[in-house]
Amino acid sequence: MKKIIIIAKKEFLDILRDRRTLIRMILIPLLVFPLIMNIVTRIQASQAEKQAEKELTIGYTLNGQSSEMIDRMSEAPHYKFQEYTDTSSLRQDVASKKVNIGIIYSAHFFTDYNLGQQAEYDILYRGADYEDYERFGKLLTTEDSILVDKRMKSLNLAYSYILPTKANEQNLSPLKEIIGKYAGGLLPYIFMAFCFMGCMLPAIDLFAGEKERGTIETLLTAPVNRAQILIGKMIVVTSFGLLSATVALVGLFASLNMFDMNPELKQSINEILSPQLIVTLYLLLIPLALFFAGVMIPISVYSRSFKEAQSILTPLNIVMVLPAMAGFFPGVELDYTTAFIPIVNVVLATKSIIAGNADMVLIGITFFSLILLAGLSVLISLRQFSKESMVLR
Amino acid sequence: MIKVEGLYKEFKLSKKQKQDRGSNSDVAIAVDNVSFECKPGQIFSLLGPNGAGKTTTLRMISTMITPTRGKIEICGLDVKKNPNEARKKIGFLTGSTGLYERLTPDELLKYFADLNDVPKEKFLERKEHFYTLLNMHDFKSKKIGQLSTGMKQKVSITRTMIHDPEVVVFDEPTAGLDVITAENIITLIRNCKTENKTVIFSSHIMTEVDLLCDDLAIIAKGKLVYSDSMSNFRSNMQEKTLTGEFIRIVQTSSIN
Repeated sequence: MKKIIIIAKKEFLDILRDRRTLIRMILIPLLVFPLIMNIVTRIQASQAEKQAEKELTIGYTLNGQSSEMIDRMSEAPHYKFQEYTDTSSLRQDVASKKVNIGIIYSAHFFTDYNLGQQAEYDILYRGADYEDYERFGKLLTTEDSILVDKRMKSLNLAYSYILPTKANEQNLSPLKEIIGKYAGGLLPYIFMAFCFMGCMLPAIDLFAGEKERGTIETLLTAPVNRAQILIGKMIVVTSFGLLSATVALVGLFASLNMFDMNPELKQSINEILSPQLIVTLYLLLIPLALFFAGVMIPISVYSRSFKEAQSILTPLNIVMVLPAMAGFFPGVELDYTTAFIPIVNVVLATKSIIAGNADMVLIGITFFSLILLAGLSVLISLRQFSKESMVLR
Repeated sequence: MIKVEGLYKEFKLSKKQKQDRGSNSDVAIAVDNVSFECKPGQIFSLLGPNGAGKTTTLRMISTMITPTRGKIEICGLDVKKNPNEARKKIGFLTGSTGLYERLTPDELLKYFADLNDVPKEKFLERKEHFYTLLNMHDFKSKKIGQLSTGMKQKVSITRTMIHDPEVVVFDEPTAGLDVITAENIITLIRNCKTENKTVIFSSHIMTEVDLLCDDLAIIAKGKLVYSDSMSNFRSNMQEKTLTGEFIRIVQTSSIN
């Protein structure tokens, strides 16, 4: 054990002095979420502001009808109304973006309205600028309500006459459960992706890197056996995977509290990140990180150089992280089959804990299957690391 | 003391390696029935052309790889049965030995001393001895990556000797080094002899061998083709130069 600690201590020191590794394993995971949140909220806010202040030009053809609707709508700010006598010019101008929206009244619009029939008008818009149509749609809805109200009054009827029922919706699901169901896959996905990335650089550096630099020979002549060297290094690889994932979680937590958000949503997210969830997540992630290390180390031992190991392990990133996306698909849940599938089981188990409907038997199966897998991957790594042809390749 | 008896090492060949060699055999024999003995206070030189099996032999002696057959004893310890105990008695150095560039000499030496179970007092004493001997005080706290080749070689020497090994293995220790740096190694090998250590080293440079060694062995294609004392080698020479004699022995062995 003493030798394992000596090796692990030295490897920690060595890795912590590598600026490239530190940037990729600590700085990027820490800053990625605050940066993304910052950029996204800034872009969203500036886009919403721009959209609200943008003057929309509405072209219309009255076809001999009264302009009372247009007159009312033109009082709304940031709108400009422009009359057209011929519909084809209006169509052309909407298509060529000279006008944002076009309205063409039917020649008997108000006659139909006064007769209690449906009065029709055409709306011309471009689907590519759907946000303009959406914004103008709100104005049209208001206008529509005015016309309905007028008609009901003329008939001496209350507005509710045409709305015979009113459903009072009551959502009994706590917000936490909704978040768990629809976004619960995101947290373990983030955790796993960063855990994988965090394991990768030390795994490459401590095996392929050591071979390339020619330091492995001196280590092999020191009075330590291969298992001690492997375990010492594996502790470091696994720890950096967990460190990277933790730092990413801290970054995510900080960014959620840093930016403006619905207070109820914020409270629910903070409730989700409870100590119980964090402990369970780590219990599942420690064997998973060991499994990641156990997959990467044999590849790194096989590789002649840092570059070769990196070229093999980088595509593996996709293979390992893809199953983590299982959490995003509705209907995929933790059961007696998925609990045995590595990565998928961690995502689904975490998702069920977040949603508050975790089955402890399935969580237990997930944990023990991961332990088994981690043990197996350690044995494979040891076998590979004990092969002379691999280590001194 | 190093005792090598009937040492044999074969490597499995991959399909590609078989194709490249044009061989039907699944294995390549790197060392074939090699036996010799290196005594304390004497310098033993292992000579041979490239690919003769020198490095494989030295790697087996230093426990980096295991022999397929045969026996190696380091100070009476069987390296197969007691590899870790044997390793404590060995110092290993090559010309291309890498160092952990992100550590300082102080940290690197502490690491290897700890791995070798060197007591703290002894470690400090030996470290100080080498720092003074090799004039290393000025760069002991600098990162190794920032040091010159000569400085790095001094760190390598100290790393090899920090646990006061009884047996020192040098695999082409001066290969690729400049004259001044190589001189440090030569001095180290001489010091090992005066300290009654067992020294084995491989080299291509005959002048170096002539200057240092007491006994020598020549291997070619994995087989031991010559083993005697340096004085006998000199007196029985059929060629004018040491290099000429070495080439003659290797060529004769390949004809036979």
